[in-house]
Amino acid sequence: MSDIVATDRIAPLEENPERAGFLSWVASVDHKQIGIMYLLSGLAFFGLGGLEALIIRVQLAMPGNHVVTPDTFNQLFSMHGTTMIFLVIMPVMAGLTAYVIPLMIGARDVAFPRLNALSFWVQLFGGVLLYFSFIAGGAPNAGWFSYAPLSEPAFSFNNGVTYWVLGLLGIGIGTLAGAINMIVTILKLRVPGMTIRRVPLFVWMTLVNSFLMVLALPVLNASLVMLAADRLLNAHIFTPAFGGSAILWQHYFWGFGHPEVYIMILPAFAIISEVIPVFAGKPIYGYEFVAGSTVAIAFLSFAVWAHHMFAVGLGHLFDLFFGISSMTIAVPTGIKIFNWTATLYKGRIRFTTAMKFAVSFLLMFTIGGLSGVSFAVVPLDWQLTDTYYLVAHLHYVLFGGSVFAILAGIYYWFPKMSGRLLNEHIGNWHFWLTFVGFNLTFLVQHLLGMMGMPRRVFTYPDWPGWMTLNMISTIGAFVLLLSVIVFLWNIMVSLKTGEIAGDNPWDAWTLEWATTSPPPPENFDLVPPVHGRRPLWDLKHPDRADELVAAAAGK
Amino acid sequence: MQGVVTLNPFSPQAAAISHLFVAILLVLAGIFALVAALVIYASIRYRDRPGAPEASQEFGSRRLEIAWTLGPVLLLAVIFAFMVRAINASDPPIEDRQPDLRVIGHQWWWEVEYPKSGVVTANEIHIPIGTSMLVEVDAADVIHDFWVPELARKVDAIPGHVNHLWIRADTAGVYWGACAEFCGSEHAWMRMIVVAQPQADFDAWQSVQLTTPPIPVAGAQGQGAQLVKDETCLNCHAISGLPGNKRIGPDLTHIAGRRIIAAGATENTPENLYRWLKDPASIKPESHMPNFLLSDDNAHALVAYLETLN
Amino acid sequence: MSKSKLAVVLFILSEVVFFALLIVAYVYFHAYPGEGPTAANSLNAARTGVFSIFLFASSGTMALASRSYRVKSGAMLGWLIVTVVLGGIFLFGQAHEYMGLYASGVTANRSLFATTFFTLTGFHGLHVAVGLLAITVVAVLTASGSFGATERETEAFGSVEIYWHFVDAVWVVIFSIVYLWAFL
Repeated sequence: MSDIVATDRIAPLEENPERAGFLSWVASVDHKQIGIMYLLSGLAFFGLGGLEALIIRVQLAMPGNHVVTPDTFNQLFSMHGTTMIFLVIMPVMAGLTAYVIPLMIGARDVAFPRLNALSFWVQLFGGVLLYFSFIAGGAPNAGWFSYAPLSEPAFSFNNGVTYWVLGLLGIGIGTLAGAINMIVTILKLRVPGMTIRRVPLFVWMTLVNSFLMVLALPVLNASLVMLAADRLLNAHIFTPAFGGSAILWQHYFWGFGHPEVYIMILPAFAIISEVIPVFAGKPIYGYEFVAGSTVAIAFLSFAVWAHHMFAVGLGHLFDLFFGISSMTIAVPTGIKIFNWTATLYKGRIRFTTAMKFAVSFLLMFTIGGLSGVSFAVVPLDWQLTDTYYLVAHLHYVLFGGSVFAILAGIYYWFPKMSGRLLNEHIGNWHFWLTFVGFNLTFLVQHLLGMMGMPRRVFTYPDWPGWMTLNMISTIGAFVLLLSVIVFLWNIMVSLKTGEIAGDNPWDAWTLEWATTSPPPPENFDLVPPVHGRRPLWDLKHPDRADELVAAAAGK
Repeated sequence: MQGVVTLNPFSPQAAAISHLFVAILLVLAGIFALVAALVIYASIRYRDRPGAPEASQEFGSRRLEIAWTLGPVLLLAVIFAFMVRAINASDPPIEDRQPDLRVIGHQWWWEVEYPKSGVVTANEIHIPIGTSMLVEVDAADVIHDFWVPELARKVDAIPGHVNHLWIRADTAGVYWGACAEFCGSEHAWMRMIVVAQPQADFDAWQSVQLTTPPIPVAGAQGQGAQLVKDETCLNCHAISGLPGNKRIGPDLTHIAGRRIIAAGATENTPENLYRWLKDPASIKPESHMPNFLLSDDNAHALVAYLETLN
Repeated sequence: MSKSKLAVVLFILSEVVFFALLIVAYVYFHAYPGEGPTAANSLNAARTGVFSIFLFASSGTMALASRSYRVKSGAMLGWLIVTVVLGGIFLFGQAHEYMGLYASGVTANRSLFATTFFTLTGFHGLHVAVGLLAITVVAVLTASGSFGATERETEAFGSVEIYWHFVDAVWVVIFSIVYLWAFL
């Protein structure tokens, strides 16, 4: 007990004289407030991106619909993808990590609190700039990956794609700064006793993910800068008609784009690695392998980008290489799924709403991961890429994967952030509406792709089965709308009258649960000693502390 | 396209993919069933309920880790072997063969020419059954993608980077295709059909395509022929026998014989042709075909003339 | 490694990737030039080489400033000012070069060489300018007497120093690939 550490190792922050009030939030450099602002901004953009998706689904519910013009449709799906990726999933993950990481490592704040605030505001500004395009001549309409030459001024006449470039540059800079901040925080501010081998997996995966961001975001920035040269300076880097290369854009973009999808799923893995063990009541199965496979995925993620380009015709040898690397990356992912499943065995599973989302993540992400494996098989990609089968795949990994994990994380950490539990009864409704709505929307899209429906089409021929399947998908989208309404209602009701959470409502083990809910500005009065991976478990069961058990087992 | 086209091949190339696809789907379904069974079983068997035993504090098993690492690796190695075979079967090398067809993607129609015979057409490709035709795929503006799922893989049409594709149908019929790379507003209506017919019929079709239709002088058809010249149609379209040879819009020399117009946005009937000429946006909202504000009379005349172009 | 140093090293890591991609694009279009002006017929390696020497020298003077800071010899401010002047001369040379190219019709959109040249050297110049700004801030603080020797200030200065050396190192690579290689 003599090694309880006080958290004044770091120079005290200037206290915010008034914690309440709108202005204190705007000026805040407190990681908890910044985290919450990230979550709120992510929620707002989720509404916008969701609205875009609903309009798309209404237009596609029946063939020959005229709900929107083709160009508006193109703006809608381009903004939907860009919004969900850059303004929802990434900021929400940034918000959760900003909030939780310092608490989990027993620190007072992140390494650079002002930089943390800058990251948030720059990201928000980038998002606002992007959405400004709607009233400045039209939103970007060349897809979320803006292939050249369609994205060039000759074919994309309004300023939309330029807003896309500038908005993403802003968001990219904010994200990069956030990643650097997180790495320094994790490497430098851990409480003594929390060696790097004892960090919670949420911390480890955030660390690995941050390195991914440091290496992948500059690839995007370089690509954007070159597209900006084409669009603003009349250059021709990507226009073949003047000697440029359209394929160069694809290599560069996917050089970012592929690591980017891992940047979006690794935090999801991180959340799941905390939620499942806590609600199963036992430690994560195979900690070292889950941690190690994360590093493997990070390395491999830079070696698979051209599996987005199998239809480009770069030669069989090229395709084979990327087919192999893409199949290989399935192995460390599978290792994780198996370890999370094994964590359930011989547990005592409490099916809170958080756990429902986490367990269904296992199933939904497996579907998405397996359909991804079908794309790694090059000849199958040659039929299925750019069809609704791909749309199904990406939504199973990004919605069934990332969003389900985010929802699990929110139900898990909401009590810590607000002091009150989210209502479990409403949560149950939220979960089932989400689960049913999600599968209704996207499961049939596998079939639509196999039946030949390309993606990014504003309408389709009235062929047998096409309307029925599209209609089912649209109905699913409205069920999802209902689930979001229920979720918002849960948040509002619980903030007012939710059950008081206390320090550790879930009987969890990581350090954030060793302080009040919500935590005081300096996070901790005293930090518990850390001798293992589950400090609060060890504290509660000193005779069965993890390291004792491991030592007894002869490890 | 009718039915699950990616599993309904009509060529050996498409069949190679389709067979592999079925096998992979079964394997993946099996894996999912396994994972789902494990997760659901554990969720039920080990759920918290009164009298349930305490959670067992275990940390892992090296043997299991090795098993579920090696297992997938072996499975993927097997898949890889089959994949190599399917790549070669579905996309055979072109060697020294000169292309039998050139397909050029435009926003939003397909230019088609047969280099060996000189036939030029649009959106509707004819091939003799049982013969593998080598198609050269190119693009005039942005990236498109040539995809006829019942017959072959898809391949991008990229300006500055020519691709090749083997097209073959072993059964006579009409096979639908679509552009499969987002190319702008009317990407949804950039479709094409491949008409596979017996060799004799194909040869007959080719010879008809090579003829120059007569230019009528009298009646509505004559009026229409004159209008084609007056209304600047020939600034974009080519009609053999009339001045100009532009490829900004589809070649119209034998348009009356085609099954679709506006790259599949609608069927080729006199009524649809009339509608198209009167108001292209009503059929294909943002196509590059201008609205010439034709009078009803002129539009009918044009249709009359175009219907002579068999 | 301190927090600041780690942060700057990570930032430099990301910048290495950024510049690497711009260099790859430059090299690609050097191999597949297309029409219009090229490096060989537009650039003056000798003149740019002279200006580059000023930039490399500024790395040396920066190191001298750092040494003065550590031994508290009082020469730090002087060396910082020299560093800014040397870096400024380099930027002046670059601006002069740009204006000359522009006057002879070699604008950013004239050829793929021109586009990638201006993008690559332009972003480098931007990084030089930002670096000079940072050094100027340190110099001003030193002159006003408020730049002391606390751990925090030492780390801040160390970060600026690392960044400046990085900017110079990038120029070694860019100068070699753009100017020297074109004339080989």
